[in-house]
Amino acid sequence: MKHYRITVNGKTYEVTVEDLNRPGHGSGAAAVSQAPAAVSSASLPAAPSVQPAAAPSNGETVITVKSPMPGTVLAFKVIVGQQVKRGDVLLLLEAMKMENEIVAPQDGTVVALRVPASASVNTGDPLVDLA
Amino acid sequence: MEEKLRELEERQAKVRAGGGPKRVAAQHDKGKMTARERIEMLLDPGTFVELDAFVEHRATELGMDKIDAPGEGVVTGYGLVNGRTVCVFAQDFTVIGGSLGEMHASKICKIMDLAVKIGCPCIGINDSGGARIQEGVDALSGYGEIFYRNTLASGVVPQISVIMGPCAGGAVYSPALTDFVFMTEGTSNMFITGPQVIKAVTGEEVSSEDLGGARVHSEVSGVAHFSFPDEQSTIEAIRKLLSYLPQNNVEDPPVAETGDDPNRIDEGLADLMPDSPNKPYDVRDIIARLVDAADFFEVQPNYAKNIVTGFARLAGRVIGIIANQPKYLAGVLDINASDKATRFIRFCDSFNIPLLTLTDTAGYLPGVGQEHGGVIRHGAKLLYAYSEASVPKLTVILRKAYGGAYIAMCSRHLGADQVFAWPTAEIAVMGPEGAANIIFKKEIEEAPDPAAARKDKIEEYKRSFANPYKAAARGYVDDVIDPAHTRMRLCNALNTLLGKRQSMPSRKHGNIPV
Repeated sequence: MKHYRITVNGKTYEVTVEDLNRPGHGSGAAAVSQAPAAVSSASLPAAPSVQPAAAPSNGETVITVKSPMPGTVLAFKVIVGQQVKRGDVLLLLEAMKMENEIVAPQDGTVVALRVPASASVNTGDPLVDLA
Repeated sequence: MEEKLRELEERQAKVRAGGGPKRVAAQHDKGKMTARERIEMLLDPGTFVELDAFVEHRATELGMDKIDAPGEGVVTGYGLVNGRTVCVFAQDFTVIGGSLGEMHASKICKIMDLAVKIGCPCIGINDSGGARIQEGVDALSGYGEIFYRNTLASGVVPQISVIMGPCAGGAVYSPALTDFVFMTEGTSNMFITGPQVIKAVTGEEVSSEDLGGARVHSEVSGVAHFSFPDEQSTIEAIRKLLSYLPQNNVEDPPVAETGDDPNRIDEGLADLMPDSPNKPYDVRDIIARLVDAADFFEVQPNYAKNIVTGFARLAGRVIGIIANQPKYLAGVLDINASDKATRFIRFCDSFNIPLLTLTDTAGYLPGVGQEHGGVIRHGAKLLYAYSEASVPKLTVILRKAYGGAYIAMCSRHLGADQVFAWPTAEIAVMGPEGAANIIFKKEIEEAPDPAAARKDKIEEYKRSFANPYKAAARGYVDDVIDPAHTRMRLCNALNTLLGKRQSMPSRKHGNIPV
């Protein structure tokens, strides 16, 4: 269980994240989770249309959206804290000569971007965490 | 006489009542209809003719001699769907849990035999607790007899299975052997071994729904072709599916007047294709504008979404469409897509439904998982099914057709009768980037500015190869067409090919790499 304070458009949210894939508190897990938060606030400082996100309550399940095939992350279309609906585009993954839209499998709130933009990813690599 | 008539009425009423009002109410409380209600809804009103209503089991052991099972837990008969005959059986969960015993199975076998004899579709509605354990090996024999008939009827009459309750253990194999499996969300499930057995053996805890519910089988396993939120919408979809199918393998599918002009020109069609070859689009938008009245009945819409399969009409005649879906996984071919398309192609070929293939794929999905999963033999099925199909085969290459995937997607080489290409088609051994890097490796490395040189060479390759004209120059593509004329050309080609007759070498059967 990890606690984050996330600032979106000047509003601060406290978020609790439970990573179900990584039992224990290895330093690797912490580094992965923190880096994307920095990426999102640096690259998208003033996204205008962000809805205030309700902080997920303790114990809510985190869904990790994984890469369906090997490719390169072109751009994230969401930022941490943003609410998404099922089918909303989370990011563009360039793979098999196509800019593939990776969409949210269900409604939720983006709690972490797991890789930086332009990262090369393999099938099954985590891309975005939703809660 | 009056007394005898009264006895008949009493006996009929008893069978019609099934497991009695209490169990019928329990069935309704679960959001399920009874076997008879389902049949009534499936068939045209008043056309159902029941057979074997008075059949009784003859088991005596383990207390079975005291158990009365009206109708033997299954309702069988025939009737009309949209005016055409179908045979139907529906297991009755209110009668000893719809369990399958010797005589229950023999009723099912009899109606299946009738369907084959008269050449009409057979629809089975499954809602059963499984084998009737008290009947022992006689129940197993019943399943075996049904599987055998499913297999012999395959490719002779369309067989449709509907899961509207539990379907576990051996019971799953009859639906699996049939052509289409429908499931109703929330109330149906299918598995070989249930949650309790799995927990006892492997320790995994899983609910029936997560193990074998409608969502799992229509999205993950591919066992089901259709899933719908309730029984009514499930049954409506069965009637719709039947409207595309011939009664049997020696009939042509029904022609319908759709009112859509075969010569309709669609200037807007080209606009659906993005300017950049790397941008995805939804191929179903293109399908909707090509076919009659934008009416496309998709099969397995939620499984292996990188390939789209389904039925539609061109100038009133039924076609089966197979299309790469650039919107999902870049439209790659992979294990599941190959499986899905192969089964669909073989169904269409069995029942004289011409094939329309829309190609836009960069190829097979790379990865250890795919290779170790046997993408070679699964991918080979697609080649086999297309090559084997003797119905009219039309292909339109919309955009990318690279390498093995170009061949696999019903190319001229696999026996396509007419191959059209849009001007946006890129037919080549591989994509421009990869090809330029290999062919011009030395030039690029030795150039003063390798990045600029690579870009030049990619452009050079694109100009020479990433187009439809090299293939058209060999006659592999019959014509390069304006997208606006696609519908007109397809309707014309289909009409021209109606008389196609192709005989295959004499043999018992081929050996598809399953």
